[in-house]
Amino acid sequence: MNLRAIGCNVDSAAVELREKLAFDAAKTQRALAELNARFATEAVILGTCNRVEIYLARQETVAPLHVPLMSEFLSEMHGVPAAAIVPHLYEHADAAAVRHLFRVASGLDSVVLGETQIAGQVKDAYEAAQKLTATGALLNKLFPEALRVSKRVRGETGIAQGRVSVSSAAVDFVQQVFSTFEDKTVLVIGAGKMGRLTLNHLAELKPAAILVTNRSPEKAAASARDCGGRVVPWEQLDDALVQADIVLSTTGAPEPIVTRRRFDDKVRRRRAGRMLIVFDMAVPRDFDPRIHDGDTVSVFNVDDLARAADERKAERRRHLPAAEAIVEAEVTKFVKEWNTRQDGPVIGKLTAEVDKLRDAVVSQLLGKLNGKLTDAERDYIEGAFRLFQSRLLHGPIAALKESSREGHSGGLREALRKLFGLGE
Amino acid sequence: MTGSLIQGIHHYCIGLSYLCAFLLELARLLWPANGWRVAGLAFGAAGLFAHTAYLLVNQPSPAEPYGSVLWLAWVLALFYFWGTAHKHAKQAWAVFVLPVVIGLVAVSRVLLTATPETPAFDAAAWATGERFWGAVHGVLILLASVGVSVGFLASVMYLIQARRLRKKVAPGTVVPMLSLERLETMNRRALNFAFPLLTAGLLVGSILLQHGHALSDNWLSLKVLSTAGLWLVFLVLLYLRYGAHVPARRLATLSIASFALLLVALAASHPFAVGGAK
Repeated sequence: MNLRAIGCNVDSAAVELREKLAFDAAKTQRALAELNARFATEAVILGTCNRVEIYLARQETVAPLHVPLMSEFLSEMHGVPAAAIVPHLYEHADAAAVRHLFRVASGLDSVVLGETQIAGQVKDAYEAAQKLTATGALLNKLFPEALRVSKRVRGETGIAQGRVSVSSAAVDFVQQVFSTFEDKTVLVIGAGKMGRLTLNHLAELKPAAILVTNRSPEKAAASARDCGGRVVPWEQLDDALVQADIVLSTTGAPEPIVTRRRFDDKVRRRRAGRMLIVFDMAVPRDFDPRIHDGDTVSVFNVDDLARAADERKAERRRHLPAAEAIVEAEVTKFVKEWNTRQDGPVIGKLTAEVDKLRDAVVSQLLGKLNGKLTDAERDYIEGAFRLFQSRLLHGPIAALKESSREGHSGGLREALRKLFGLGE
Repeated sequence: MTGSLIQGIHHYCIGLSYLCAFLLELARLLWPANGWRVAGLAFGAAGLFAHTAYLLVNQPSPAEPYGSVLWLAWVLALFYFWGTAHKHAKQAWAVFVLPVVIGLVAVSRVLLTATPETPAFDAAAWATGERFWGAVHGVLILLASVGVSVGFLASVMYLIQARRLRKKVAPGTVVPMLSLERLETMNRRALNFAFPLLTAGLLVGSILLQHGHALSDNWLSLKVLSTAGLWLVFLVLLYLRYGAHVPARRLATLSIASFALLLVALAASHPFAVGGAK
């Protein structure tokens, strides 16, 4: 295997450098063509807001590409001095490069542990390179494997469970209360930015209806247009609260707009025990916190959501060892399979070459002894040569397989090619 | 050989298999990995197999205290296995259902020890009418018990989930559970399922008692009183749910109380097992 992963990420390079090294579609196309033409290498360029990485796979018979060379290349592509790039680039070789890609695709190397977006970005990067025929045998096997491993890690561990942004944590709380959403009504009170972000996440649950109310009818109409909701006049807030199952409140009111008394007198009784979940995203708060009882009415404010998001992040870290174990097992399996696949043709050629040699020697010998040997003696001589061949090749083949298992059979394969004149 | 192996199955085999499944499920929650779940399911399946084989070989009567508890445990074990293997694979389903199953297996063992001469289930005699109404009564009460048990499990989970929401615990940082709405629905359906069966079972039992077919009980026996108490609790539950719209948390508490009454009713000696309808 002659594989390198060279690049920089949020830990190794500041955003100022990362944005200079970013590849757009045109630059990616040009870079892949250049890499192919200049270095005869397979290549995939992975560019996200947190990383710029180039995966390079070359024939085992040629020297691997390295950081200084790639920084020259990046310098040429982006017009940034190579000296400014070199200190920020990292390089992973062979099995370490496989591990790195598996970790990246699984979200284990992401700023938000376990984030799922990266798998799609890896897929896009691979498909773009494949479309430009910049990939070959190794990367065509490696990237689909990375995506499979990513799926496995997310499916078998809790590394991607739960939402880790404040606005999306609301969805997790909602799912603790409700199991179906097609019969639920979301009420949006006010038009704060945080509320809009949270509403975007809640809208993913596809509620039956979204009601929007605001002191300003114009703002209410604008918000309703944005989210596909229906405007409810501000004066009918109590009725809307009776009707709603999920409330999102983000007004700029200096005092609570729904006091405990108002809720108990005008809303609670009319709800007939139906469950209500309120996300009070406003500061100062719009809902009296004493309304919260954790049974029929649950009220969560911004701090509750922020704390939930933080706890989610901590929870994901708990799944890290299990995720890393899966990645490690998959790396070992991939490297072993790849090397075994590479060993096959070498062992085949080696055996064929020595077969030919043996046949030539045995034929010559038997020709000279023609008429002097019985059939049994001829068979014995042929058997002895076969045994000799088998014993002679046992050592090199066993050593090659052993190296493959350990993940570094490239050198030995090359040595065998040269020693026995096996060609490419 | 297989026959003697199956005959060698004891409560301990069943209980220990379920216990292992429970511990493995706990391990899965503490140290998440798919292996725990697979191993837990394997032990659960082994327990269920042993449990089924034991019931088939020994045919304990569902009208006997020990038999009814063991049959109830079996139905709940099916419920556990179905939930864990298929329906609620990502929830901590087994953690709630298995302790009840293990507890019921243990109770049935205690009851068996207390009454070693328990008659086996004689399906032929019951079907031909000799004990027909006794059997109808026993089966109705057993089915109602399944409903009560499911209601109990849903209620326990509901109270825990509601407590978490009250304390604003971040979702998913602890034992993953079903939503309040889902648990409330489960509890409601269990109640709706159990109440008619319990009523019918009680009516059949009352008629048998009235006609003196129940040899071991009278109107003031613990069994009769606890079953009547259970029915009354159910009636109150129905009123509170559909008439008074009380919060689901209070209903859950009452459902748990009804399960306690059920255990008393099941464990108390059964009036129709010994003589049956004549």
